[in-house]
Amino acid sequence: MGIGPSTKETTLHHFRDPLLDVVSSDEELDLLGVLVVGTPDDHADKMLVGTRAAAMAECMRADGVIMTSDGWGNSDVDYANTCEQLGIRGIPVTGLKFSGKNGGFVVENKYLDGIKDICKNAEGIESCIVGENNATELDARTVTALLKLKMRRNSPADK
Amino acid sequence: MIRSFHINSVVNRGTNDITNEGVLTVEESCLHDILSGEPLIENAGITIIPPGEHNIRTDTIMDIIPISTKVLGKLGEGITHTLTGVYVMLTGVDTEGKQTHEFGSSEGILAEQLCLNRAGTPSERDYIISFHVTLKAGMGQERPGPLAAHRACDRFVQIYREKLKKLKGEMCSERHEYHDIVRPGKKKVLIVKQVAGQGAMYDTWLFPKEPSGVDGGHSIIDLGNMPVLLTPNEYRDGAIRSMQ
Repeated sequence: MGIGPSTKETTLHHFRDPLLDVVSSDEELDLLGVLVVGTPDDHADKMLVGTRAAAMAECMRADGVIMTSDGWGNSDVDYANTCEQLGIRGIPVTGLKFSGKNGGFVVENKYLDGIKDICKNAEGIESCIVGENNATELDARTVTALLKLKMRRNSPADK
Repeated sequence: MIRSFHINSVVNRGTNDITNEGVLTVEESCLHDILSGEPLIENAGITIIPPGEHNIRTDTIMDIIPISTKVLGKLGEGITHTLTGVYVMLTGVDTEGKQTHEFGSSEGILAEQLCLNRAGTPSERDYIISFHVTLKAGMGQERPGPLAAHRACDRFVQIYREKLKKLKGEMCSERHEYHDIVRPGKKKVLIVKQVAGQGAMYDTWLFPKEPSGVDGGHSIIDLGNMPVLLTPNEYRDGAIRSMQ
């Protein structure tokens, strides 16, 4: 399993990603950058690259992370691990991922409560309609607001 | 800075050009040169799809690509020109009818297989230029096949990039200046994008020479799928090419 047509992020999506627009224009946030991480075949490699991504976030002193995925199924293993590695390092994480009825997390852990299902299909399925289950501006605003809430809870000074 | 030039109509005419009046012209004979160095491609075609005329059959959609080019500086800085009102759609199949897809095919009637008005898809008012590739038998499932399709499509887009570079800046329809703003004292947020990196139609390329291009790019598979950090402006300037 991997990327279905309805969740696939096209080159055009990357060029005008609503998540970047929402986070970079939010005056309450200091956007550090965009970290692109792949999804290897091998399980040990999956753990490695996600852990490196979390270590980079830690070294950058990130107060929070928003994580996206353009696929589902097998790549959930990578996604869940990266969220867990961020969580272990005390970095709040929210994110966007297709779940619907047939794409729920294949593995789970306690750091996935801020992940929003971006399914738009009425039946909750991988419809093979290009763009249908892509993240929209509203999705981006939701997870950005949720991250702010999580970061506030995580920061003793703001309590 | 990104300058947009709006295209009002796309027509079949003797050259591949962009006029000052916002007309993009398509001439299919450019395919002869484009395909001459691509032994894995059996043939290819170019179809203009006007807005609202989506009741046509399509092979599986491999990508939707903006036509953008660097005019000054490198990716993430300087000036980029981009077209609005028209986007390129790459589709793929092989000579035996096997669709070039990885995890579900979007072949069928375009109106039913493409959700318009998303960030990653054309709007209902946009023209689509379909660049449809037929690969040699079985080549759609091997890494070099889809790569050849993307490369051929990129060469086609490059013809327009060369024209787009020469359009006068003051003729643009929109102008956006983007700065990577540091906001000291505010909560520091990192966006992590998990992308495809497992194989033939499950690949992502970074740092092409031209925005959203192929030439000069690096596969995240070849980079060991390791995390790569982009500035926000590099990302919004087309540093990622989706190679699915």
